[in-house]
Amino acid sequence: MEMMIDFTEGFSHGHVIWGWMIGVYLVLAGMSGGALIVALVRRHYSKNKENTGLLKGAAIIGFSTIAFGMVFLVADLHRPLYFWKILINYNFTSVMSIGVAAISLYIPLTLMVFLMALEEEIKDFFQTKIKISFVHTMLTIVINILKRFRPYIEFITIFFAIVICAYTGFLISVLIRFPLLNTAVLPILFLVSGLAAGVAATRLLTAGYYRVNPSTFDEGLLHRIEWPVMFLEILLIAMLIVSLVLGNDYQKEAMAAFDVTRSQWAYLFWGGVVGVGFGVPLSLNFLFGHKVAHSSFTMYASGISTLLGVLSLRLFLLYGGQTFGIH
Amino acid sequence: MALATGGYALSSEEKRRVEPKQHLSMIYDQTKCVGCAECESACHSVNLVPAAQNRMIIQDRTDPDNVKARRFVRVSCQQCEEAPCVAVCPTAACHKDSLLDVVTMNGDDCIGCAYCIVACPYDVRFINEETNMAENCDFCLETRLKKGLQPGCVEACKYDALVFGDMNDPKSTISRILSIKDTVRQRPELGTKPSLRYVPAVKQGV
Repeated sequence: MEMMIDFTEGFSHGHVIWGWMIGVYLVLAGMSGGALIVALVRRHYSKNKENTGLLKGAAIIGFSTIAFGMVFLVADLHRPLYFWKILINYNFTSVMSIGVAAISLYIPLTLMVFLMALEEEIKDFFQTKIKISFVHTMLTIVINILKRFRPYIEFITIFFAIVICAYTGFLISVLIRFPLLNTAVLPILFLVSGLAAGVAATRLLTAGYYRVNPSTFDEGLLHRIEWPVMFLEILLIAMLIVSLVLGNDYQKEAMAAFDVTRSQWAYLFWGGVVGVGFGVPLSLNFLFGHKVAHSSFTMYASGISTLLGVLSLRLFLLYGGQTFGIH
Repeated sequence: MALATGGYALSSEEKRRVEPKQHLSMIYDQTKCVGCAECESACHSVNLVPAAQNRMIIQDRTDPDNVKARRFVRVSCQQCEEAPCVAVCPTAACHKDSLLDVVTMNGDDCIGCAYCIVACPYDVRFINEETNMAENCDFCLETRLKKGLQPGCVEACKYDALVFGDMNDPKSTISRILSIKDTVRQRPELGTKPSLRYVPAVKQGV
């Protein structure tokens, strides 16, 4: 039976409710988790237990991006001054509540990893740059205690880094009004694109460091991991599209988000995600020969393009998804 | 009294919990609605909704090819039994009233994250632009129900297009109407178990 009575007007009046601030937060959270997953898994399987440039870079990104992400998360609230209510009222059927619980554990963990990975630099800073012996002594004590539990702390951090990446996907994949978001691949897509962003950010940050302290392995690892991650990302986006194309009427309708004649957000996908995010790194590295592929321009350009691609993907899904909901 | 029952007498609060819960709901009858929108005005004055916003509206769904058959439809919270807004609210500000089981808000705990707005498949929730808190039609829970009154829109309707009551009480008006009239729910396939019932107008002409 066709619906005999239904309504098409809603109280959002076609506006996108969750906008760019949520999108930026999703990228920062993914970048934080992705960077730490790569660096800590690498450390776990490596005999080299020194604080490598890769680990230092990832530790800086891991802590700073998630902390900065909180600014956007709170700023997006309509009652930002009451954000603390979320810390004292838990509802464990809510992905947001579960996410807040995970973040409350994850941020201290990233700080611990940061303190251990940059031990020498931090101590040096308070000894020679700003001479505060009290802070220096306290930090030394704290870091020495932390180091006794280092393998456990790092293992739990890997676990929570995966949780953070995946939860950002679940956060919006539960929204049944939006077929583009309400898919099973979103959490894993966000984990994989979080890895891509984390690797790109770590590479950009450590490029200068590696010019001074060459480590062919770590630097090569970041370069080698880039392509399988991108391949997985493309595969997952293809799966998402196929599931919509072959889906029910609601899902087919949501495909309009990819259609440039019907959706302005389609430009963000084809230009930002496909063109900049995948096209620029692939062509710079494989189309113009050995010299271009190994230039530092290509390194910086691919890294920045990857980050822009990941940002475009999150923004496209949010805006395109919310524009073509069921109604 | 406590002595006679060995101290096991139920308080009125406990009795409410033991007795089958009410399932408060509403019927919107499309065959009776004329689209006068007096329900909308009543809602605004009862619930102090900002002028530019609504907890409920009457949408004109008249087929442009058949304008003689005017068709309206009520747009408002469907009072789902499996309400996604309640499930996703991180502070439990959006909740079901412990006594009347109606989806409503505890505004004090609302942080305005708008998760409930995007989670609602019917798009019938909004952030009140004056209070910055999320809001939905809760059958005038605090403003009228708890004073023993019918929702404002129901009282304002001159055409009996809205009927409100307890679907779990077989003697209630709403139950009696439901037992004889064909009604539908909005998108029950979404698994939200909406409570609102709609009587569709199916007659197209003479």
